[in-house]
Amino acid sequence: MRIKWMLTLASLKMFIRQREAILWTILFPLLVVVLFGFVKFNGVGSIELGVVNDAGAPGGELLSRIRAVRTFEVSEGTKDAEMALLGKGERDLVLVIPQGYAPGVATDLTAFGDLEAKPQVTQLGGLVLQRVLDEAAFAGAPGVKRTTLSTLPVKSRNLTYIDFLLPGILSMSIMQMGIFGVAFSFVTLKKRGILRRLWVTPIRPSDFIIAQVAMRLIVLILQMTIMVGVGVLFLNLHFIGNLALIYLLGILGAVVFLGFGFSLAGISKSEDQVAPLANIITLPMLALSGIFFNRTNLPGFVRAVTGLFPLTYLADGVRSVAIDGATLMQVMPQILGLVLWGAVSCAFAVRLFRWE
Amino acid sequence: METREVVLEVEELVKRYAGVTAVDGVSFRVYAREIFGILGPNGAGKTTTLECIETLRSVDAGTIHLGGLNVRTQAPEVKRIIGVQLQSSSFFDKLSLAELLLLFGEMYGRRVDPLLLLDEVELRDKSRSQVGQLSGGQKQRFSIAAALVNDPVVIFLDEPTTGLDPQARRHLWGVIKRIRSEGKTVVITTHYMDEAEELCDRVAIMDAGKIIALAPPHEMIDALIAGGFRKERIERLASLEDVFLSLTGHTIRDE
Repeated sequence: MRIKWMLTLASLKMFIRQREAILWTILFPLLVVVLFGFVKFNGVGSIELGVVNDAGAPGGELLSRIRAVRTFEVSEGTKDAEMALLGKGERDLVLVIPQGYAPGVATDLTAFGDLEAKPQVTQLGGLVLQRVLDEAAFAGAPGVKRTTLSTLPVKSRNLTYIDFLLPGILSMSIMQMGIFGVAFSFVTLKKRGILRRLWVTPIRPSDFIIAQVAMRLIVLILQMTIMVGVGVLFLNLHFIGNLALIYLLGILGAVVFLGFGFSLAGISKSEDQVAPLANIITLPMLALSGIFFNRTNLPGFVRAVTGLFPLTYLADGVRSVAIDGATLMQVMPQILGLVLWGAVSCAFAVRLFRWE
Repeated sequence: METREVVLEVEELVKRYAGVTAVDGVSFRVYAREIFGILGPNGAGKTTTLECIETLRSVDAGTIHLGGLNVRTQAPEVKRIIGVQLQSSSFFDKLSLAELLLLFGEMYGRRVDPLLLLDEVELRDKSRSQVGQLSGGQKQRFSIAAALVNDPVVIFLDEPTTGLDPQARRHLWGVIKRIRSEGKTVVITTHYMDEAEELCDRVAIMDAGKIIALAPPHEMIDALIAGGFRKERIERLASLEDVFLSLTGHTIRDE
């Protein structure tokens, strides 16, 4: 036991003394978050509009007119549900069509939006809605009374791109550390004969592997704490999750990717062989696991396949815990997905890993 | 000779790689507190023989006993009593020499005094340096210090002086002799005949996986001369190496 701990400590020392390692594991992911956080990808593209229809058929007719407006991404729901989504920032505007509404009859409608946090979106949405209402009213007969819309301010959590991105980048760096970190360092240890020198001492290979994994898990916990901390303190991250649950997901993800890292170290003889293999595994996940962009925009088939990627499970899990405050039961699908992938990658590692 | 304590006994050792017999029925004994040399051209099987004894390679046939232990069946126990300097192996970067020695001590469950070990190889003033900052001779000396952390019965040195300049080689010879004088048994491989003549009590000459001669160096020379061998040119009283050393001095330059 003592030797495992001493080896872990020594590996930690070696890791911390490598300046480039600190750079890649801590500073680089933060830099990506900050840089991408400043880039506005969507601007005012579409407006997420929730509609609460309490007016039956006349309301339905209005709804179809609203759906025809391409600026709106319309969803329909109960008032409670839509207001909750508005609070989370997943709706920009919620329109309530009250009982008794009929086009051409003076009724006041109400739209809710966060005027303070999203002034342009809320005001633009309100204007467009007013136009739709007017068209509906005047379509029947000219000279009828106008339906007026009032916009009521609501405080939303106003989630930003940073909230989407930071958990994703956190997951990405777990993948990079597991795959690149382990594969490269073990290939170097093999090539330079450092491992051979260890095997003439009484330590068991498992002692060394356990120490290497333990060291990386310690670094990982530090890294996750720093990223969430910096996010909350400096980047306005709306973190409402359970940190312990984030650690759990991070460790499961690390096990998956460490397994792949050891597998690669097993089948590669030099760093030149590691790099392309590691890229083949990581690049598709970087692009398609919902790290930088929401996967909902992907075509159905691609979305279904990428939903099975280990990085997708990790990023979705970390994101919903961090931002939506998901509970253990709510991220159970992600946890199960990671456990399955972990079993696969560790089985590969055991089969493929070679000391020589 | 017959009453001396046998520390290492190799009998009919065979090691094959993919059809090539690298070691082909090698037998020898090493006695306590001697420096035993294994000489031979590249590919003669010197390193493979050592690696079989060091438990790094499986043995295809034959037996090896070290300190009363069977190397094939008691590898973990054998590892505890040997010290090994491998031909082309390195140590972790980013740890100082003192930290490395402490860590290697821990691998044997020992808490060593790194400075005492570094004294042994005259590297005390480098205790805070990292291996990457050492010269070739210093690296080899450090490697010997690391092989001493468990106070081994036998220490194996695989071509420790290859690539070193004459001063550093001579310095290392001094270190090796001192280790022997402290009661350790040393098994060394080398390409340098002067080194074998200077250091070894007995040498085994290997070629193509077999031992073709085994005796103290002076006996081998005497036997050759007795057989009628004469050098074409009479040995001069000094060699070019003597000239080099008298010009450049015996002080080592790698500090």
